[in-house]
Amino acid sequence: MNILVCVKRVPDPAENEIEISSDGSDIEREDLVYSVNEWDNYAVEEAIQIREQHGGSVTVVSVGEEESEEVLRREMAMGADQGILVSDDAFEGSDGRGIATILKAVAESGDYDLILTGAQSDEGAAQIGGMLAAMLDQPYASLVNEIQVQGGTKLQVGREIEGGNQEVSEIELPCVLSIQSGINEPRYVGIRGIRKVSGVEIPEKEASDLGLSEDQVGQKAARVKRVDYFHPEMGEGAEILEGSTEEVAEKLVELLKSKGGMK
Amino acid sequence: MAQQIADRRDIDFVMFEQFAVDQLSQHEQFAEFNKKTIEMIVKEARNLALKEILPTNKIGDEKGVSLENGQVRVPEEFHRAYKLYCEGEWVGTTENPDYGGQGMPKSVGMGASDYLLGANTALNLYVGLTVGAGHLIEEFGTEQQKNMFLNKLYTGEWAGTMLLTEPQAGSDLGAITTEAKPNGDGTYSLSGQKIFITGGDQDMTENIVHPVLARIEGAPAGTSGISLFLVPKYWVNEDGSLGEFNDIVCSGVEEKMGIHGSSTCTMSLGDKGQCKGLLLGQENKGMRQMFLMMNQARLLVGMQGLALATASYMNAVNYARERVQGRHLMNLADKSAPAVPIIQHPDMRRMLLNMKVYVDGMRSLIYYANLCQDLRDVAESEEEKEKYQNIIEVLIPICKAYCTDKAVDVCNLGIQVYGGFGYTSEYPQEQLLRDCRITPIYEGTNGIQAMDLLGRKLGMKQGKAIMDLMGEVQSTITQAKEVSRVADSAEKVEKATNKLGEVSMNIGAKAASEEVMKAFANAYPFMEVSGDVTMAWMLLWRARVAAQKLESAKKKDVPFYEGQIKTMEYFVNSVLPITLGKMDLINNLDATAVEMEEDHFGGK
Repeated sequence: MNILVCVKRVPDPAENEIEISSDGSDIEREDLVYSVNEWDNYAVEEAIQIREQHGGSVTVVSVGEEESEEVLRREMAMGADQGILVSDDAFEGSDGRGIATILKAVAESGDYDLILTGAQSDEGAAQIGGMLAAMLDQPYASLVNEIQVQGGTKLQVGREIEGGNQEVSEIELPCVLSIQSGINEPRYVGIRGIRKVSGVEIPEKEASDLGLSEDQVGQKAARVKRVDYFHPEMGEGAEILEGSTEEVAEKLVELLKSKGGMK
Repeated sequence: MAQQIADRRDIDFVMFEQFAVDQLSQHEQFAEFNKKTIEMIVKEARNLALKEILPTNKIGDEKGVSLENGQVRVPEEFHRAYKLYCEGEWVGTTENPDYGGQGMPKSVGMGASDYLLGANTALNLYVGLTVGAGHLIEEFGTEQQKNMFLNKLYTGEWAGTMLLTEPQAGSDLGAITTEAKPNGDGTYSLSGQKIFITGGDQDMTENIVHPVLARIEGAPAGTSGISLFLVPKYWVNEDGSLGEFNDIVCSGVEEKMGIHGSSTCTMSLGDKGQCKGLLLGQENKGMRQMFLMMNQARLLVGMQGLALATASYMNAVNYARERVQGRHLMNLADKSAPAVPIIQHPDMRRMLLNMKVYVDGMRSLIYYANLCQDLRDVAESEEEKEKYQNIIEVLIPICKAYCTDKAVDVCNLGIQVYGGFGYTSEYPQEQLLRDCRITPIYEGTNGIQAMDLLGRKLGMKQGKAIMDLMGEVQSTITQAKEVSRVADSAEKVEKATNKLGEVSMNIGAKAASEEVMKAFANAYPFMEVSGDVTMAWMLLWRARVAAQKLESAKKKDVPFYEGQIKTMEYFVNSVLPITLGKMDLINNLDATAVEMEEDHFGGK
């Protein structure tokens, strides 16, 4: 099975204190430590496991600036077979639909049986998988936390449902799945894997290589535009507990008891 | 963002800006290790260390090891951590790829070690000794022995140790009595007892290979009658398959102050007359051969000191930024003034700075000592090769003794910054100090290291070794004098370096005279001042690089570079003057310690 996994280079939430930039349009990006989007890492691991059991190949693709090459390389060190970097100034300012349009072009330039995305990324929109599936006219399942390959034409997928319930569906290939974290335990990257990719050239594709015109992508084509970005002001009614951990815990228990939240 | 174990920015700075380790990739041997690859290696080592290894550290401390029916058991959490170590090839990181190693430059290996050792030193000891045992086989073993053992060791499938110490033979290994009798088939039967064997037994690997120092029947007394043997826990057949249990038994494990997760074993060899060994290298050359492993092990112990110190410092500086206590000194009279984070108190800053100077200086020094090994290995001329080997030889006792002594001081301050909380086991600081306290003792006590520096290294090759090192120091000073921001400090470092040269000449001459006892009573202070000047050298080097980078630095890098210059200035202005005073003391060669009668020590 040939699998395409879409990955994104994002500010690592475990490594950064996020600040809003002075003009209020975005976060301050200069001093950030970036990593692969966590959900995407689960998707790559799942793809590698499917390949290990059923054969085929895993290709990772990232739309972004040149630095995105480092996350592709990292996922290749983890076990993906190929990487494709898609980078062009024309992509700047793309909305979700724009990114999905670019990924559609990538998907159509290869022969993939299965496309995986992370359930969401740093911006929390969780939109690419669904849009991509619609544009490709392929079936789609979101928040997938289990995949079983059934012959060459179908998958059985488990999905996480509200309230801790689980849904199991059959889905026809080719299809697009967005992967929930926890589906597997992503492997660590070892030195052998890193050495293996140290000299690999990762091909870079521009808009023209994918047959995309400027009016399909980037700021011009974006129909969703961010107009503001800020920390909401602290409202009334919140009580901040202060003191040592023990003191805070004690106060919290008292409060919960007095408000009827705890017996 | 608060960082744990080590400062990522500082590791990057030392590797790429101070030492340009990525330039090693211009040599065929290290061609794979370009900057991107090195960055990924360090990032993934950090990832593994923080997510998987660090959480096992306190567990290992609390559970320790147990001995049941002759089998040592490590905390079960170590099994997964060790497995991940092996799966990621983090055992033989810098070892020969022909035998299962990953062939990284040693200086790059340090970037990974910084995190992996700092995350759990006790666990890492099993790994460090395994690699060390492999080095011995690679250097002195027959092809057959290499094929039998090396791949298994460098991949961590089997572990290695070293069996030197006996109850009556600690610092004086010449007193070893473990005996080896030839069996006539190329193997030897060993009998004896070894103590303080790190990793002597554990249950993480299916086999353990013990390099053992022993005497062949009839060998001359002292160190020239000692040979080296390979004694596996389970016999290894020539085809590599495992044979019978080899009658080498752990008969006890030490209860000790720190590194509880690392087994410290008493090993009995041949109680049932069934313990076999293979001679490694030549008969009666065991001590000389063992020094290869000991030199590596000494550098590793210096690295352990750094790793524990950096972990303690990172915790302390994070804590001092968060812990709010006491009003600012400038607002002391104002009772309504808010309490401030303790990092704003002057004495707290003094302590943090005292930690930072040594953590920074030690990181540079230890990475540099490892870089010298890489530069030696890729050197094109014999002259250059010799120069780097000379520098390594002189730096080993300093890396081991000075760095571990300072690491203990740093870990000690790391508790002090936390106040009463630092003394409790709720916080990691007290464990770091306990784990660190062994480092000035094992692999040759720091007193022995000081004697090695004075007795062997100072006069090595008629002083050429020390001159090669001084040449490198001078080159840093010359470069720093060209950079106005650090030029004054460079003058001060130069003055201290020149004075150290004089002190070395004096004490070196005395050590070779009838005043030898007096000289050696000052060996330790001599090691200390040599270490201080080495720190000043490394900090000046850092500050010079930082001062030049500042000219076109990005906003986010400015505090880091300024910090480098300030750190160096603190050392040069507040520590180096004390060093100069100590040098006067050494020149005076105070003899009280050796002139005291034993009775004068009192207590009778």
